[in-house]
Amino acid sequence: MTAALANNRYLPPALGIGSLIAFVALVELLIRVGLINRFIVPMPSDIIAAFPRVIVEEHVLSRFLLTAAEAFSASILVTVFGVAGGVMLYRYQLLRRATETWVAAIAAAPLVLMYPLYLVIFGRSALTIVMMGFTAGLAPVILKTLEGLSATRRVLINVGRSFNLTPSQQFWKILFPAALPTIFVGLRLGLIFALINIVGVEFLINFGGLGQLINELAERYDLAGTYAAICFVILVSICVFILTERLERWLRPVD
Amino acid sequence: MPAVPFERIDANAPKTARRDPILVVDDIVKRFETPDGVLTAVEHVSLSVAPGEFVGVIGPSGCGKSTLFNVIGGLLDGYEGTVRVAGERVRGPHPAVGMIFQEESTFPWRNVIDNVAFPLEIAGLPKAERYERARRFVKLVGLDGFERRYPAELSGGMRQRVSMARTLAAQPKILLMDEPFAALDEQTRLLLGDKVLQIQQQLKQTTLLITHNITEAVQLSDRIVVMTYRPGKVKRVVEISLPRPRSSEIVSSEAFGRYVAQIWSDLREEASRGLDDEESRKLREADTR
Amino acid sequence: MAQTGGLTLPTAKPWGLPLRPVTALRIAIIVAVVVLWEALSASGWLYRDVVPSLLAIGRALYATLSDPTFYFHLGTTAYEIGIALLIGGLSGLAVGLLLGGSKFMSRAYEAYLYYLGPCPKIIFFPLMIMWFGVGPGSKVAMGAISCFFPVALNVAGGMREIDKVLIRVGKSFRANTWQMVCKIYLPAMRHPVINGVRLGLGVALIGTLLAETKLSNRGIGFLVIQAYSIFNMPQMYALLIILFVIAIGANTLIGRFGGLDEIKQS
Repeated sequence: MTAALANNRYLPPALGIGSLIAFVALVELLIRVGLINRFIVPMPSDIIAAFPRVIVEEHVLSRFLLTAAEAFSASILVTVFGVAGGVMLYRYQLLRRATETWVAAIAAAPLVLMYPLYLVIFGRSALTIVMMGFTAGLAPVILKTLEGLSATRRVLINVGRSFNLTPSQQFWKILFPAALPTIFVGLRLGLIFALINIVGVEFLINFGGLGQLINELAERYDLAGTYAAICFVILVSICVFILTERLERWLRPVD
Repeated sequence: MPAVPFERIDANAPKTARRDPILVVDDIVKRFETPDGVLTAVEHVSLSVAPGEFVGVIGPSGCGKSTLFNVIGGLLDGYEGTVRVAGERVRGPHPAVGMIFQEESTFPWRNVIDNVAFPLEIAGLPKAERYERARRFVKLVGLDGFERRYPAELSGGMRQRVSMARTLAAQPKILLMDEPFAALDEQTRLLLGDKVLQIQQQLKQTTLLITHNITEAVQLSDRIVVMTYRPGKVKRVVEISLPRPRSSEIVSSEAFGRYVAQIWSDLREEASRGLDDEESRKLREADTR
Repeated sequence: MAQTGGLTLPTAKPWGLPLRPVTALRIAIIVAVVVLWEALSASGWLYRDVVPSLLAIGRALYATLSDPTFYFHLGTTAYEIGIALLIGGLSGLAVGLLLGGSKFMSRAYEAYLYYLGPCPKIIFFPLMIMWFGVGPGSKVAMGAISCFFPVALNVAGGMREIDKVLIRVGKSFRANTWQMVCKIYLPAMRHPVINGVRLGLGVALIGTLLAETKLSNRGIGFLVIQAYSIFNMPQMYALLIILFVIAIGANTLIGRFGGLDEIKQS
């Protein structure tokens, strides 16, 4: 591809959307012709038709709000405790050296399988789901906060020292702002893991918002509805992450 | 241009300048412990700077220039000897000393005006006064119009000017610069050198410049201290009697050329000692692996 | 006292314990956790056996590890994850190379991957069941689609971060595409690729295990949910411990293999 084509403002995104539409049209055709079993993959036109039904009958809005509330609560918890945890580990070197590898290990383990335990402790409620999200999202935030603070360029620290900053000033005016980009990466990762666990547990225990919706529709063999609900969740997920990006850009109007 | 004679002052001449010096560096010895043993970075280095003077310190890589910079700036301790600023002994970064670092040091999350206002913010100046003062220094370095821009939007030379404005905004009695233009190309250097000269002239700023660039040193300094290779000692102090006010045009004068030649003949000896030493060190390292 | 990188660790504590402070702190933390655990367990404060005594867990651990059918289930899960990583990883690598190498393709398609990536893949499970059946097929599929995205995105990003000069060196020696990929691109981007694989492993594990808990009659996920359904808590803890140890071990191994020395880099 020549550079001109690659840099064209509309061509690449148009190709992206175009190929998506073409793919959907192809699937529709193959189903109508019978090459794809319509009892496994409903026609895209049916799926689109199912959208309004699903949205209205299944109270998609209230389900969405429930999942959103769970995700939001988990995010707040993860942000507060994760960043605080990372700062603590940065501040207390001994603690860091003792526990950093443990935290990294926790980040690598599939914590979601602990959900039966949470069920017993917190009951079959939104609290279980929030706590699962919190548990899953915590470790990446701690690690990335720690990484961001540790990776502050030496010269910036020296600038602070040359201006005789107090330790508190040094932290709030230099270390923390310098670490923010990495902290945001950690928050995004934490949110992703939290959401995976939240929607996953909703799906598994058949309680809650959007995860439960998909489970229910699948169990009812409402094919078009299931597909529609999945598309809907994808859309929601995309919007959430676009929103977090905008939020980050608004909070850090740099590069 | 008429030939301008230059005087050579050897290392044994009195170390005080004509007026009462504002910075006195007395017999500094700084050693480091490394896996290879004890390294003496600087040994019995003394110099002094009078108010309003521009002194350059030049030496080959590895001569301890940056060590000296950090010692005078108060970022290093554990050395023998004293550093005094306006009579006061330096223990830690002295409020009257402003430092400009070699590396990229603007705060990427603050725009230009916020960067420059930083020391004033720390000092607790009220907002309006802060910004008014900061704007003056932004203008001084020639960046007016760029106040709201972020460092990522600026060139390397412009960012160094921001760092400079930030340090100057604190109105330090002594300005300490460690190879501030090392990352820039030669032409930008010369032009920024002009800027620095203008600023220094205007503010009558006492300045100590550490550099490895001979042209830069001769262009900007009243006096140049030439250092030996590690362990760094003062090899020679050269008085630069080029007329002031100067501009970058001075680099094409004969006198300029003579100063540069003389300093290079001193430096070359030290620099090749440095090169040989580096090579044999690397060979030893490779052998012990 | 030897100085290494400016860090001097005292070799003896003031009261004469021959322990480094880090080790001492770790032991102290572990002891505190054990004590708290046993206290909680004995007190019966939490509902019905949620915190069994460590002894009970230990016994269950031993019983599980000596049970041959356990290894059958372990093998099933390992097989599922392995195939999932292979399928998801290789396709992720291919797509990542394509997107990273072509600005045009990247601008056309990468956004989809970027925004689809964070979406919880469990929502696709009913589809996977319909398409691949209730056996290992659907679990492998879950694992594969989970790990495809991190690998593809990390590879694409990694390709773009390669120092351009290395590419020019390769071209100046007239390397063909295959040689460029094997001798220049892949070695130059091993860090992002390894990190992508680790992340992929993490999410593939989650995807596959969740699928096993939901609908399966074999595998570790199935065992966990089975233990829970008969409320055999010690057994459940034992299984989780084994699972976590293996997951952490695999993650560390991948990191070591890729030349990264700590699992913290994600």
